[in-house]
Amino acid sequence: MTIDSPVMLDLFLVTLAGFSTGAVGALITARSPNWARIVGHGGALLGALGALTFALAGLAGGTMKLDIPELLPIGGAVFGVDRVSAFFVALTALGAIPAALYAIGYTREYAGRHSLAGMGFAFNVFVAAMVLVPLARNVLTFLVLWELMSLASYFLVITEHEREETLTAGWVYFVMTHAGFAALLLGFLLLTRATGTPSFTEWSAAAARLDLNSRNLIFVLLALGFGSKAGAIPLHVWLPRAHPAAPSHVSALMSGVMIKLGVYGLVRVAFDWLGAGPLWWGSGMLIAGAISGVLGVLYSLVDADLKRLLAYSSVENIGIIMLGLGGAMLFQAHALPGLAALALLAALFHALNHAAFKSLLFMGAGAVLHATHTRNMEELGGLIKRMPQTALFFLVGSLAIAALPPFNGFLSEWLMFQSLLLSFQISAHTINLIFAFGVASLALTSGLAAACFVRAFGITFLALPRCEPAARAREVEWTMRAAMALLALACVVLGIAPALTLTPLEATVFDLMGAHADVKFNLTAVVADGGFGWIAPLWIAAGLVVFLLAVPLSLRLMGVNRRQRSYETWGCGRALQTARFEYTATAFANPFKRVFVLLYRPVKELDIEFHPESRYFVRTIAYYNEGRLIFEDTLYRPFLRMIQALAREARALQSGNVHGYLVYILVALVALLVLTV
Amino acid sequence: MASLFGYILKTPVVTEPLSSGNDAQIEILARQIDDRAGKIFGRSLHIREVDAGSCNGCELEIGALNNPYYDLERFGMHFVASPRHADCLLVTGPVTRNMADPLKRTYEATPAPKIVVATGDCAYDCGVFAGGYAVVGPVSSILPVDAVVRGCPPAPREILLGILAALDQRA
Repeated sequence: MTIDSPVMLDLFLVTLAGFSTGAVGALITARSPNWARIVGHGGALLGALGALTFALAGLAGGTMKLDIPELLPIGGAVFGVDRVSAFFVALTALGAIPAALYAIGYTREYAGRHSLAGMGFAFNVFVAAMVLVPLARNVLTFLVLWELMSLASYFLVITEHEREETLTAGWVYFVMTHAGFAALLLGFLLLTRATGTPSFTEWSAAAARLDLNSRNLIFVLLALGFGSKAGAIPLHVWLPRAHPAAPSHVSALMSGVMIKLGVYGLVRVAFDWLGAGPLWWGSGMLIAGAISGVLGVLYSLVDADLKRLLAYSSVENIGIIMLGLGGAMLFQAHALPGLAALALLAALFHALNHAAFKSLLFMGAGAVLHATHTRNMEELGGLIKRMPQTALFFLVGSLAIAALPPFNGFLSEWLMFQSLLLSFQISAHTINLIFAFGVASLALTSGLAAACFVRAFGITFLALPRCEPAARAREVEWTMRAAMALLALACVVLGIAPALTLTPLEATVFDLMGAHADVKFNLTAVVADGGFGWIAPLWIAAGLVVFLLAVPLSLRLMGVNRRQRSYETWGCGRALQTARFEYTATAFANPFKRVFVLLYRPVKELDIEFHPESRYFVRTIAYYNEGRLIFEDTLYRPFLRMIQALAREARALQSGNVHGYLVYILVALVALLVLTV
Repeated sequence: MASLFGYILKTPVVTEPLSSGNDAQIEILARQIDDRAGKIFGRSLHIREVDAGSCNGCELEIGALNNPYYDLERFGMHFVASPRHADCLLVTGPVTRNMADPLKRTYEATPAPKIVVATGDCAYDCGVFAGGYAVVGPVSSILPVDAVVRGCPPAPREILLGILAALDQRA
């Protein structure tokens, strides 16, 4: 066992001790669901706090090398930390601390129905694996942890296994994650063979000597593997199934953190392990990001399931992050290291921000689910009166994800715009066009995301409740509210204090790219590329607050009539005003369905049952307006059909006849003999 | 195509010639209304039209207030889509059973200060519909009315005079 920097090692061990306490403690207290719930998630909370300290020490420049050859074959278990790893550990901790706190309250209702010991155990393994994945320094360590992360999250996804759709979701997730795993395994093995070492730290130097074809192949395999975990289109099919099915604290972690480890892999592949590649790597990444962004938000915009909407929105945000990665790769290929660093900085910043607001939104959706037992937005409404604090937190998350100042999403998307717009410094028309495509997609994505979250917040929290449970909803307990408050606070702080995050991020990017990002910042302002664009988030926030205070104040000064009178909502003079008159989620999305009809290809049906006496009297009207899922229909179903057809063909070989099998053995034996001789 | 152009060329002007003399009066009237509205409401007049059971004759005349000849918008007077935005309710027709409650709700939903102008003979005394089984009564039986505009239907100028009368009553 070799180590350096004892402090880092201590912190590392404290982190692991926290997760072990949680995992083992949950199993020991299995008899009492209440204790299992508190011990299991409390341990995870301690572990996550340890991980945060560890990551901050790592970002401050602490290093660690931990080598345990006895634990695994082929090079042993090797852990190390640099700023990139530390950043992703910090991101994991940012999601895991509130998630563990939230879980203490959220899992209460699982008592008696599901094993809280099992949930606590799997949760600790899941979070611990996510903390360890960025620290792995050789192939086997990485793959074991990666698989551990996938399996633990699979078991968490199928917690509510008594429901058919949960099992289907789990199955799709299981298959997609293992297809990705297979691609990763193949890529890693090829890279290990070509470089002669399974150690990540030596790949960067060795990969430069590889020939282009094998580098291309390895890039594609690894990008597919990591892209499937990140949820890039068309590998996104598991997200909209698995995220709604999982318990909400797990969805928050999967969507906020786990898919970011796919981004971690992509960052390592593109900027560390394989070095600079041909132009199409970057172009491909950028275009895939643009498509994921636009299509992700378009699917999110029409979905009536609150958690599925958030899952599609994750696809969108991964697209935005990939725009930054692709941009950075293209800038690097055109010898503009400062801009490459800026684009990567924007991508990592957005990854961090997304972890904050998406976890927050999933927890908000979880609180709604907890209080009303439905995720269907068409049945919700009016919750702002019944759950005011949850509504406020969800609103903060919505504003942040819609990239409105003064919240964090605005700042990272602004940086992303600056970096992509600066592509005019490249003088190659094709590349300029690709960047222009990226900028246009990003603009469309941000606009549609704003519409999407107006809909998500408005339909869920405003107006009148549309079903009995929503009308009886109560505010959730304090642990869940505290977790959401922490994340809401993070959204504000990340949004108004750029120096706080950009300083360590800049150092991280410098470590990776060897160049300083073309960005200057101090406590209040951010300036991109020597004055190309600048912004002062703190002053924007201050200005907004002053403006909001100034409106009522100036109205009072102007002596405007301020007498108040309460009267019912204006409903065009209707005598009866029920929730059925409200704007529905489907209606809100319908204009978009019409404009983007090529994508949705909606199947509309109108069933009217008339009165038998006269067609002027209608008994029931049923209206269906289901969109179709293009990728499932055109990509996955034909593929599945092909696999099934092949399997049926292959069944002919499995005759069940023992004599037949003896013949196979004989033929195989003869063939082998012939081959060897 | 050629025949179409020929037709266009051959057809004389078919619209009626403008009657002269009325323009200046309308302008003076509208300026007066705007002036009074500014004093009472602190802004230009916003009108919500409520059809409480009209035959739509009055609506044609009210619609004429927005045509290119009268063009009330040039004086800042708007017909608005919700009583929440309105200062003035322009009510037409005998109030029918179905519209009595919505009319009351509309009045309630209009922020104070507000004026109500009953427009047309039906709004005044139910006109030819008086005593009908579907009719509740004139507008004044439902709402406090500030001014009444007689006529079946009243001319746009008379409607403006009615609004002015209602405003003068408040000033």
